Amino acid sequence: MEQNHLVEKLSLQSESFQEGFELLTKSNSFEELTKNFRHILRGNFITTNIHLFHKPTKDSAWNRIKSDGNASDSDSVILDKNHSLTVRYFEGEKYNASVVLPLSDNSYLGILFGGKLDKSSFNDFDKITLQILLQVFSSAHKSFIDQKNEKKLIFELNEKILQLNNLIDTGIELSRYENQNILFELALGRIVMLTNASSALITISDINSGPTEKQITFPQNISPENILSSLYKIESSFEFNYKNYRFVLSEKETRKGATSFNDLDEMLLQAVSRQVNASLENEYLLSQSLQKERIEKELALAASIQQKIIPIVLPKISGYELAGINIPSREVGGDYYDCFDLGKGKFALIMADVAGKGISAALLVSTLNAALNSYLEFNLPLSELTDKLNKLIYKASPPDKYITFLIAVLNSESGETEIVNAGHNPALLLRKDGTIEQIDAGGIGLGMLDLGIPYSAQSLSINSGDKLFLYTDGIPEAMNSAEEEYSETRMIDFFKDNSEQPVNEFIRLIVNDVKSFTKEAEQSDDITSMILKRD
Amino acid sequence: MSTEFNLISELHDKTLVIKTEGYINNAGGEKIVREFEKHSDVNKLILNLENSKVVNSIGISHLIEVIEKLNQTNGKLVFTNLDPTIEKTFSIMGLFQFADKADTVESALK
Repeated sequence: MEQNHLVEKLSLQSESFQEGFELLTKSNSFEELTKNFRHILRGNFITTNIHLFHKPTKDSAWNRIKSDGNASDSDSVILDKNHSLTVRYFEGEKYNASVVLPLSDNSYLGILFGGKLDKSSFNDFDKITLQILLQVFSSAHKSFIDQKNEKKLIFELNEKILQLNNLIDTGIELSRYENQNILFELALGRIVMLTNASSALITISDINSGPTEKQITFPQNISPENILSSLYKIESSFEFNYKNYRFVLSEKETRKGATSFNDLDEMLLQAVSRQVNASLENEYLLSQSLQKERIEKELALAASIQQKIIPIVLPKISGYELAGINIPSREVGGDYYDCFDLGKGKFALIMADVAGKGISAALLVSTLNAALNSYLEFNLPLSELTDKLNKLIYKASPPDKYITFLIAVLNSESGETEIVNAGHNPALLLRKDGTIEQIDAGGIGLGMLDLGIPYSAQSLSINSGDKLFLYTDGIPEAMNSAEEEYSETRMIDFFKDNSEQPVNEFIRLIVNDVKSFTKEAEQSDDITSMILKRD
Repeated sequence: MSTEFNLISELHDKTLVIKTEGYINNAGGEKIVREFEKHSDVNKLILNLENSKVVNSIGISHLIEVIEKLNQTNGKLVFTNLDPTIEKTFSIMGLFQFADKADTVESALK
């Protein structure tokens, strides 16, 4: 009869057990869970004197969970005498019962029950109710831990997705920056996000000289020394363009404090470091490409200017044949030739070679051309003219630049010719009888020195059947792939053997002969020549 | 070690506005939580992150803690002035399932 009554009472209570479980499972923290459980116990056992304790592991000490009442921390010794999952009941002592409940996370909940408000002791119904409530708490706690673990798992999974996403975004964003400081600041910000580092540093130093050129930290107000002296740190470095880039991360953060970095952190740091390296390389290659493009544009411009200086058509000289050619080895060469009609049957034949090639050489050629156009009008003696040119080029050119120059002024009626050779290859005069004269009277190259040393001129007569051949060193010094020179001897022999050819044909043939000698070897110097033949 | 993190806060009735500056990491996140816990009766927290461009996952875990506490009392957290990188980070971490975002503090206060 009494047992039937007990069952009936428990049946009536079942709904409240269910409600208790629902209340417990809504708890957001362990503190809230135990607080709610205390309320449930108080309601069921009509007592305010219930104290809860918790210990994280079997061997750790009990921690009293904050509660009202008169329990002291030392009361937890009562719990030490309990076996797991046992309830001990007492008569006439401070507490009526003690419980130690093992929990699903291997921690323990301890409960001390003080006297009930009606002073009664625990009856059978209370004891069964307590067992059921302990099961309810145990299940609710397991559910709480499962939810907590689930949240942690979701957080960790999201964190991994975030890391992957950040790594991809970082690669894209780093490639966009041209300003290196912004690039490094972005890289530092991204790597601390990826690894939970508390701070980061980039040190840039010269590979050869060693001393640090630049240090950038994140956050900005942290000293590099603090980061470098950190207990927990990892680093990665690379060398590019004679500089060493060293990345250091300090102190991986957790909610419980700093810890050491793991393998994944090292991989992430290396990945960001590589992305910075690639970005610097791309920036460098882009700047090189832009510079090359700029130089090519300048060369094209200089070439177009020079094309206007080199004569397209040489003047017709009555009683003579005249032909010339200029084949630059690069886009803009340093050779120059021309023939000026000075009036009254006089003509000035010019052959010049600037030391060096490219824009600077083209500028000097341009200066020489402008000066000749100006000075030749004054009909100056050739030695004086050359001296003026020397002074001008000396002032207009850097110390390593000069011009070898040859001028021959022809009186076409008489054939009388005056020649000044300023450091240039000798002019070759082939007489009708086959003898060769080399004309090298003159002085030093234009612009080499300005010491007032006078230039000497040589006078000669070009007679019927004579041929005057002017050239630059691009012909005798043309080199084949075996590094053998075409040579002055071969050139003179060719001149002799082919001098009866019409002048345009002679020019074409000598160029072909040089090219057949050099074959596939790249043209190493400008090829320029001019030939004058008296009928 | 200094983390260069600072915050200022203003209370508008039951709405707390916190403006942060610097790296939201463990220390930064703790400062936000402590500032929030000083005002037990607020039901809306507006977090202006205009001057915070970097946040790590430890900082985010503190923000989640604040969101959960607000949700228990039917309160709400609203992020404002988000840097695109941080907005994407919060989105991936699922923060906008339980918190709102607004362009400015003014629009969040409405």
